[in-house]
Amino acid sequence: MNKQILAFHDVSLIYHTVRGETTAAKNLTFSVGEGEFVAIIGPSGCGKTTLLSLAAGLLKPSAGEVESHGSFGYMLQKDELFPWRTIEKNIYLPLEIKRKNTAQNRAQARELAVKYGLGDFLQSYPPQLSGGMRQRAALIRTLASDPDILLLDEPFSALDYQTRLNVTSDVSGIIRGEGKTALLITHDISEAISLADRVLVLTKRPARVAFTHTMDFAQNDPLKRREAHGFSGWFEILWKELNE
Amino acid sequence: MKHTFSEEHARFLKKRRLRLCLIWSLRIGLLALLLGLWELVTACGWVDPFLMSSPSRIAKTIVTLYRENNLLYHVGVTLFETVVGFAIAVTLGCGIALLLWWSDTLRSVLEPYIVVLNALPKIALGPLIIIWCGTGSKAIIFMTVLVGIIVAILHMLSAFIATDKNKILLLRSMGARKTQILRKLVIPSSLAAFISMLKVAVGMAWIGSIMGEYIVSKAGLGYLIVYGGQVFKLDLVMSATFLLCALAAGMYFLVVLLEKILVKNAES
Repeated sequence: MNKQILAFHDVSLIYHTVRGETTAAKNLTFSVGEGEFVAIIGPSGCGKTTLLSLAAGLLKPSAGEVESHGSFGYMLQKDELFPWRTIEKNIYLPLEIKRKNTAQNRAQARELAVKYGLGDFLQSYPPQLSGGMRQRAALIRTLASDPDILLLDEPFSALDYQTRLNVTSDVSGIIRGEGKTALLITHDISEAISLADRVLVLTKRPARVAFTHTMDFAQNDPLKRREAHGFSGWFEILWKELNE
Repeated sequence: MKHTFSEEHARFLKKRRLRLCLIWSLRIGLLALLLGLWELVTACGWVDPFLMSSPSRIAKTIVTLYRENNLLYHVGVTLFETVVGFAIAVTLGCGIALLLWWSDTLRSVLEPYIVVLNALPKIALGPLIIIWCGTGSKAIIFMTVLVGIIVAILHMLSAFIATDKNKILLLRSMGARKTQILRKLVIPSSLAAFISMLKVAVGMAWIGSIMGEYIVSKAGLGYLIVYGGQVFKLDLVMSATFLLCALAAGMYFLVVLLEKILVKNAES
């Protein structure tokens, strides 16, 4: 495997509320290699989003260590584009925040947007775009600051089915095209199979890695994978493991 | 841009235009009807014009006030107090709301105080204000600020707090500091709330300034109303009230104008 870019070593996290404490994760250990696309699936309420917050350093683990080499880009369920900014200005947002708002970086981000079909929409406002286009813009925004690893928090679940299949294919193409490392959190088994190089199955809370599978498809395009021979086999295996 | 529309669309547009005409004619008609009835019942002596005044007497009083050359002075005094009080209340209110948004601790500590101050009828502070600020415009501006500021704070604070949590998470994941979250997200996303706060604050400012003038004043429209009441010159009371209506409406429309400009700028 390539160089590790993100690794969880025996990570535990406890949530405190007035009513008591909840162990969200316990002895969680896994790693993501450079250029790898890893998907994590788990039963609902197992703390998948918590896991991404830990990875991004927004939460500190109660025990254990999160080791990361490189910068992050976060992509959420909804596009979260700012409606008072044009698509272009939205894409520059991470550059502004990270104080990397140079002409060169802006040109690079712009180029990326044009390359992936947003060229005609740069001066539009988010409400003027379709859901799929907006999610694509959100991905380009995430990529604008050239992060080393992408954290994807169910980025397709707010889209309708047809758009979702297309956008998933788009996003997969862009991420693989740019050679980015990605960690995807999802509750959708087929999405995980169609996108990832490796799928991790989490247990119920407290979350722990129960199973790890390397996907053995000949092609990376999600739509092709869905038609591929092994697809339903993987679905059955993961479905069983999720319900254990 | 010139489009050719279907006949049905043309009918639709025509219907809309007609409806708009109808609404406006009814609005103006209603006003004319009320004024006409008022004039009629007083002219025919069905009610005593001494108690009710009448549109013509109001017009005459306003002209007299203007000729005696102190109408503009009274209007100016009230307008000055209202606008200055409004500006201070809005500026301070937004500033304090920002501070409260910034610090959870400060907000928790001050919350009960703000709730009590909001519930307190500000007019109860009248005597204190006279003693502290004297009997001039200063006291009235103070009252105006007092009436407006709490509403401004509460309105803006709730807008700041309602900022989309996921958008904050997004900015934090980019490594944004709190000042950046404030500048890039919280303030721009509160624009609509700011406008609606201004609309409320305009009303509050007029309440504050007129209430202030009722308590203590030597000039202004509130002064004219109180004076007119004391010497039983109902014409004067009605005239001042009419002018007040016109001024308050004018100020409200200025805010609406500002809204149009700001919203347009935000989109271009």
